[in-house]
Amino acid sequence: METSVLVQKRTQTPRQKLNKAIPYLLVAPVLIYYMLFWLRPVIKSLISSFTAMEGGFTLQNYLMVFRDPSFVTALRNTAVITIFSVTLEFILALALALIINRKFKGSGGLLFIALVPMALPPVAAAAIWQTGLTSHGWLNSLLTNIGILQDGAKFYFLTGSEWQNILLIIIIDAWQVIPSVMIILLAGLQNLPPEAKEAGLVFGGNKLTVLRRITLPMLKPTITTAVILRLISAIQIWLILVIMFGFNRLPVLLERVIYYKEEVPGIQFADQMAITYTIVVSLIVSITAIIYLQVSGAFGRKEGR
Amino acid sequence: MHLEERKDVDMLHLNQENRSGKLTRKQRKNLKKTARLTSLYIVVATLVLVLLTPVFFLAITSFMSNREAYTFPLPILPAAKVKLQLETTEKGFMLSILNRKTENYETLLDTNDPEKFSYYTDIYLNLMISEEEAAELFQNTTEAGGILQFKERVNWFNNYRVFFTVTRDAVPALIRSLEIALFTIIISLSIGGMAGYAFARYIFKGKNALKFSVLFVRMFPAVAIAMPMVIILADMGLYDQPLGLSLVYSVGQIGLTVWITASIFMGIPVAFEEAAMVFGSNKFGAFMKITLPLALPGLAACAMYAFLGAWNETVSAIILTQFKPTFAVVVYQTLLGATGQVNLLAAGGLAMALPAVIFTLFIRKYINQMWGGMTI
Repeated sequence: METSVLVQKRTQTPRQKLNKAIPYLLVAPVLIYYMLFWLRPVIKSLISSFTAMEGGFTLQNYLMVFRDPSFVTALRNTAVITIFSVTLEFILALALALIINRKFKGSGGLLFIALVPMALPPVAAAAIWQTGLTSHGWLNSLLTNIGILQDGAKFYFLTGSEWQNILLIIIIDAWQVIPSVMIILLAGLQNLPPEAKEAGLVFGGNKLTVLRRITLPMLKPTITTAVILRLISAIQIWLILVIMFGFNRLPVLLERVIYYKEEVPGIQFADQMAITYTIVVSLIVSITAIIYLQVSGAFGRKEGR
Repeated sequence: MHLEERKDVDMLHLNQENRSGKLTRKQRKNLKKTARLTSLYIVVATLVLVLLTPVFFLAITSFMSNREAYTFPLPILPAAKVKLQLETTEKGFMLSILNRKTENYETLLDTNDPEKFSYYTDIYLNLMISEEEAAELFQNTTEAGGILQFKERVNWFNNYRVFFTVTRDAVPALIRSLEIALFTIIISLSIGGMAGYAFARYIFKGKNALKFSVLFVRMFPAVAIAMPMVIILADMGLYDQPLGLSLVYSVGQIGLTVWITASIFMGIPVAFEEAAMVFGSNKFGAFMKITLPLALPGLAACAMYAFLGAWNETVSAIILTQFKPTFAVVVYQTLLGATGQVNLLAAGGLAMALPAVIFTLFIRKYINQMWGGMTI
């Protein structure tokens, strides 16, 4: 009797061990993949950003980037575009979500249409605005056809001042992004229990106080998610801007990377500059991402679900 | 009791209002409801209009002939048929086209060479007139006494034909892009799917740290790994190769796949697998026979997600390709070097947009779901 128990124990131990190892075996490929194709390149570019052209440790690359006359402009433009576009997009998206937050005929269709601008590949969106914003493009034609512009008058969208150009980029980005932020917020709104709002109204709150004191606080997790994800992608706006204005006219951080990597070919310092610029961008994005993960509670959750 | 009292008061009001000839409370309520609904539809209609107008114009520009694309203001729709006129002249034959607005014929070309005639009408007017047909038209004109008016059908898809034949590399790039997307789907779904299953079914040490790193890697700028990957891929012999690109694309995609597959597997009760195991199946068999078939629609959506990610990716592709660009890079380069030919650009842009929008249509349910539960 006793021996049989022992035997059973012995035969089951490797099996139990295997069972315990299963989750680790399942996640191992992801870990290995990340080591090879994420960690290794990231470390590699970190090292090369601190390496002089002749080899050896140096801070020269960073000095070169910081002294690059377009760096400050690029940083400023990135900051302005990010802050203003995210604020504008969020406010408009929230307003739209609050208005549309109810079942009506065609709401499914609207949700699909709202996904279209976001679904467009960046180059396709760029094609839309490139064909639209030239002086003989479709936007001027449309304005003429509906009678806003007359006698062949045209808007010259692409030759404005620097601030006008930034405004244009913010508007284009808003067109692409607002609908999907709206959908995120709508999803959040529809998950809220209706009782909370009703209780607020019963206890004498008017619509505005209910919105401010009940709906928005309850929506906060969704709002932080939407805003921080938008921040991360707004920092990385570049393609539309290059297609509209070309390189150098409205520098932003990521545009600098592509500029030094692709448009200044053959010179080694250009590659170093590009890599150092990517480190700067990555640092900014990482800080934003970490704040997001912290706020959304990815750290603090209990093990398991 | 309280309610009934209010009703009485309401009735009282009702009667009073009726007598004074104003709107009843009910009517007012209805009016308010209608007003609210109307304003909702106005907002929705405006939104739809603002969202779709640019896409609509991209589409119609892509169907326009060179002549139409460079008129101002642009026509609302490209013409399906054009009225043409041939006239004999000293040099040969003069081709004119009827301007739909002014109702006048505009002179386009004066030639007696059928080849030139065929080429010109193809490139400039998107017409399909072969050399033989051109020669016949010339003959008919002479026979008709020197002037001939006729209608021709416009080939709306001519710009697409021209874009794919004239743009260097467009067709091979398209094939490469599909290849890359396929590799990306295979890599990210197999590797990410396994981890997603582990996340859904097991509790293990380090799960949170892993969750965190998956999200972090997903958010990390793609451009930061693309640059050093040039050298790493070159060492592996995969630089400028579809497989090499998909290795890089998968880094971002895996995170998303883990995330989506985890929620898919969580939605399938463990009890199903356990039941299969009671009936003598082992764990792997239970997964293959029960869980996988149930998860299939979700996994298909996940694959489409990976496709979209790979298809749309531009920054990494620009950095990581040299002689074998992806389709996105080809369109990017035509856009960047564009010195006109708006209609060709539009054709390229729409060809790029179409698969993306179609796949989004398929997975929209999942997108909405996912955004609802963004914080895993």
